[in-house]
Amino acid sequence: MNNKEFDNILNDCLERLLLKGESLEQCFARYPEQAAELKPLLETALAAREATTIQPRPDFRARARYEFNSALKETAAGKSRLSWGWFPRWATVMAIVLALVLAGGGTVVAADSSMPDSPLYSVKLATEQVRLTLTPSQIAKAKLCAQLADRRVAEIAYMADKGDVGQVEILTRRLDDKLELMVVFIEGRGGIHLPGMLGAPPPEEAASPPLTAAPTTTSPPTEGAPPPEEAGAPPVSPPAMDTVPPTTTVPQSDKGWGGQDDSARNGNRAQLKNTLVSDATSNRAVLRQALDEVPESTRDALRRALAVSEEGYEEALDALE
Amino acid sequence: MQDEESLVRQAQEHDQEAFAQIYEEYFDKIYRYITLKIGDAVEAEDLTQQVFLNSLRSISSFRWKGKPFSAWLYRIAHNQVVDYLRKKKKVAVPLEETLVSGGDNPQLAAERKLDVEQVLSAARHLTDAQREVISLRFTSELSIAQVAEVMGKSQGAVKALQHSGIVALRRVLTVKQNE
Repeated sequence: MNNKEFDNILNDCLERLLLKGESLEQCFARYPEQAAELKPLLETALAAREATTIQPRPDFRARARYEFNSALKETAAGKSRLSWGWFPRWATVMAIVLALVLAGGGTVVAADSSMPDSPLYSVKLATEQVRLTLTPSQIAKAKLCAQLADRRVAEIAYMADKGDVGQVEILTRRLDDKLELMVVFIEGRGGIHLPGMLGAPPPEEAASPPLTAAPTTTSPPTEGAPPPEEAGAPPVSPPAMDTVPPTTTVPQSDKGWGGQDDSARNGNRAQLKNTLVSDATSNRAVLRQALDEVPESTRDALRRALAVSEEGYEEALDALE
Repeated sequence: MQDEESLVRQAQEHDQEAFAQIYEEYFDKIYRYITLKIGDAVEAEDLTQQVFLNSLRSISSFRWKGKPFSAWLYRIAHNQVVDYLRKKKKVAVPLEETLVSGGDNPQLAAERKLDVEQVLSAARHLTDAQREVISLRFTSELSIAQVAEVMGKSQGAVKALQHSGIVALRRVLTVKQNE
């Protein structure tokens, strides 16, 4: 008997033992000539399986389930507790009004989970921009940028899977923009009116209330906003998108973090750092996973996205040090 | 559990209940798979959680292409393990020739009850591919066809790795018992 035949017999016995609940004796009866050779191997396999039938610790299981359910709810809601949960009421109202002006409530909700090949994608980008503009402090903006970067990564994986090199490259630039913008906010340099940002500085950073320059549908798209033909977008011009960090010199001050005291600021930075460490790991895993599965033609573009992601998170974490 | 394909499709539509079912179905299996791969039951906990968070983020990119969903999920777990091992610089100890060629002891290691530490320790002496097969087959209870999908190998190759992996495991356990 050659090895291949024995491999098949061994496997047949294992299938019967492991999946069908047969006994060792039944296997030996089925293959009497190989019984002596099978016996030690099957016993080892069964003993190994029995020994490794382990369970996670109950406290970990409970914590993991809670965290997962929280993430699940966030994803299902298609929105973030961080960006909306502690908004001033007026800002929430204004955001909703703006969203409705832009595209209508149902459309906005539907757009939130849309992908770049969807007609609603430009609505998604526009809504994100409104959220970013209305988010009240720089640390919250940095956190929102982190969430938006996550979205770009998921979109990159999605478009790479479809073999769309052009979209992967566009999304990679958007990812890069988001990560760079995050660094700007981390460093407290977002207190000025950034090119492409909507409205005035947030309440902590300016005496005047925000939204003095509320977006309109005629705002010219800038770099980062998809041209309609690029994403099959409907005739909704997204407002100006976040762009690369400004070169303007901005004072480094506590005000950049919303005038918080040291302990609150340090706590926020530590929280953001944890988030970014986790995001960097998970996004790398997502992109590497995609790299295993996508068509060969998109792999180079995906590798560039991976490099941009790794470099961007590294810079953001450096900025938090 | 309802038909997996429809469950996954619902999860892709952000159906919380569907994703929760997938989570419950695979959590322990993925945990055991990772534990055997890295040899550390505590570290495996966080990695397991990360696998499910990653899958939640990227499930929208999953496409049915004739491969089972489990293959996709285990691939995420595999990548998570590779990342972890790279960071920890934990290199699996190759099976030493002396162990491979060692004769069977009459008192078989497998005849007595093994504990998890013995198996985890012995598994470190397997090659990566052998350990992958043993993990997927005996801790996650995947079929040969599923393991072949996860590993991107033919079923024949997986069967051969299964055979050599069990032989190697047995020899390591026997030698360790004699020490």
